[in-house]
This record gives sequence, structure tokens and C-alpha cells, in this order.
Amino acid sequence: MSRTSSAVILLLLAGLGIGATYLVQYSSAPRIAAEQRRIDSRNLLDLLPSDSYDNQPLEQPLHLGSTALTNSTLLGGYLATKAGQPVAVLLRSQTIGYAGAIDLLIAIDANGKLLGVKTLKQSETPGLGARIADWPNTWFQAFTGKSLNEPADSGWALKKDQGQFDQIAGATITSRAVINAIHDALRYFDEHSRQLIGSGLHE
Amino acid sequence: MNKSANLQNSLMLAPLIGATDSLVTALGVWLMFIVVISAFGASMAAVRSRLIPASRLFAGVLLAATLTGCAELAAQVWSLQWHQHSGFYAALIALQCVVLEHTGFFQSAWRERLRLCVLFGALMVGLGLLRELLGDAGLRLATLAPGGFILLGLLIAAWQAWPRPTPSH
Repeated sequence: MSRTSSAVILLLLAGLGIGATYLVQYSSAPRIAAEQRRIDSRNLLDLLPSDSYDNQPLEQPLHLGSTALTNSTLLGGYLATKAGQPVAVLLRSQTIGYAGAIDLLIAIDANGKLLGVKTLKQSETPGLGARIADWPNTWFQAFTGKSLNEPADSGWALKKDQGQFDQIAGATITSRAVINAIHDALRYFDEHSRQLIGSGLHE
Repeated sequence: MNKSANLQNSLMLAPLIGATDSLVTALGVWLMFIVVISAFGASMAAVRSRLIPASRLFAGVLLAATLTGCAELAAQVWSLQWHQHSGFYAALIALQCVVLEHTGFFQSAWRERLRLCVLFGALMVGLGLLRELLGDAGLRLATLAPGGFILLGLLIAAWQAWPRPTPSH
């Protein structure tokens, strides 16, 4: 038990530790990445009925142009197709809620009708605004089937703001931010629908 | 109860509140705790006598980091969802190892060690089960961290109020 032998053992431990961790990491990384992709696609795609598309939308990201919208930012988009025909565009939108950023996934069908909205990330007040993260979500169901013109611009707001949508109780700012982000996404789709639906088909 | 024991117990508070919002999470963290602590104890026992006291801390840190890192990766392969939900509580086990080594836990009688592991497990599983049941029953607060604190407080109060022979001072 000397200083030198201690140092040698420590070095040995460090080497073994690094080696073991590296080996485990190396052998498990592909499986973890595959599992991550599976979780991602399951999370994203339960927005669409499973028989409504037959491609792998996550493998088909859309090339979005200008992505800063009036009240939100588009982070990305995916195209779902069936038998080569575009079925839906999934837009990933980020907006600022009451407590921080809210990430939404907004599914719009080829005719510009909203198929569904889902919260991917949020840090709103637990029990109030954080209810946007519930899935399935009754509040978001009120938006299904709406489009840019149905209701008109003035209708795309909370009843409190003379619009036509209910708000989540106790979470006005969160609800307002989400409605604006959905409206933004529909407007973006309307302005870029040819590019969004077309660009996926060339690939 | 001395200072080191306090440190050891307060470190356990983090997983006890953070990782008990459901039974599966609590069970997972506890199982990982048992596996890592056992492996750490066994490997420290092998090298402890060959090291001068000053380098034992370094050896402990190295071993704890290696074992916890490998266990975390294994947990990700086993269930990535579980890991994303409670992985950082699992990472705290490394710190727990070092603190336990420092308090001389691994040199104490096996009965003492077993007692701590069983007590920790019973608390984790009990709290996890209680919070999950209350959460399912519609009491949302129980699944959030403040609810965890309140339940733990109630459990401790019940334990204190339990009539049992008090040890004389």
C-alpha cells in the first residue's frame, strides 16, 4: 500500500471506467436512437388516424421558407401522404405562453382544414395552463375542422376577446397564445400550400 | 444522528419526492439504486485495502460515475420513456454512492445496510403507490411535487404519532 501503487490503481480504474462506459455507450447508442425515433413518431403521429397515411412523415421533413410568423415561429414541418397523395401537413410551431415557450404540432389537411393540435412542450402553470399538455384534449377538439376562413379572422380569438373560442379556465394568456399560433399556422398553410404540398411530392 | 447521516438522508429526499409520482418510476429508481450500490460496494471492497486513504475518494468518484453511467445507458435501452421521465434522479445515485462511502456505510454490518435499502425501498414504493392511487382517484395534487411533500409529511406525522415504546435518553 504505497503512494505509487495507489496511483496506478486509480489510473487503472479511470481507464477501465472510460473503456466500460464507452463500450456500453457504443453498443447501446443505435438501439436508443431507434427507440427515440419510435417514441417521436408515436408522439407526433397520434394526431392523425393511423390508416389515413402510409408514408413515414418524420422522414419527409418539409423545407420551410420564412418561418417567423406574427405571433409564433415555425420550427419545422412534415408531410403525410397516402398512395403518393398528400393527406396532411404537420407544422411544428413555437409560441410564448404565460411561463415560457410552448411547442405545438398542428395538423392541417390538404384542403386547409385543421385536423388536430397537440402540445409537444410547455412549462405553463400546473393545473391551469399546463392542461394544454393533456392528451387526448377536449379543449383542442373545438378547433378540429376549422380553417382560415371558417371562422373569419375576427372569430379566431377567445370569447373574452370577441372571438368564438372558449378559453382554458384560469389560463387566458396560454389560451390566447395557442389560438394565435394555430391561426398563424393556418395562414401560413394558406399562403404556402402549393409549396408545402408540392415540395414533398418531388422527393 | 450525526452530520453525515443527515447528508445521506437528505440526499434520499430528492428521489423520494421527485421519482415517486408513479409506482413504476419509484420501483425503477429503487432497483437501480440497489444494483448500483451493490456493485459499487463490491468493487470498493476489492480496491479499498490497496489504496492509501487520500485516494479512496477519487476511486469512489470514478467507480460511482462509471457504474451510474453504465446503469443509465442500460436503463435507456430497457425503457427510454422511463429514463426521460426520471433519469436525473437515477443520476443522483452516483452522488449517493460517494456519500455512503464517506459515511462508512459499506463497512457497517450487513444488517444495517439491508435496513437502509429496505427502508428506502419501502418508502419509495409506498409513496409511489399512494401517489398513483390518489392521482387516479382524481386528486391531481398528489402526482405533483408539492403533493409528494405533503404526503411524506403526513406519513412522518403518522409515524411519530404511532404509539410505540420511546427509547429513554
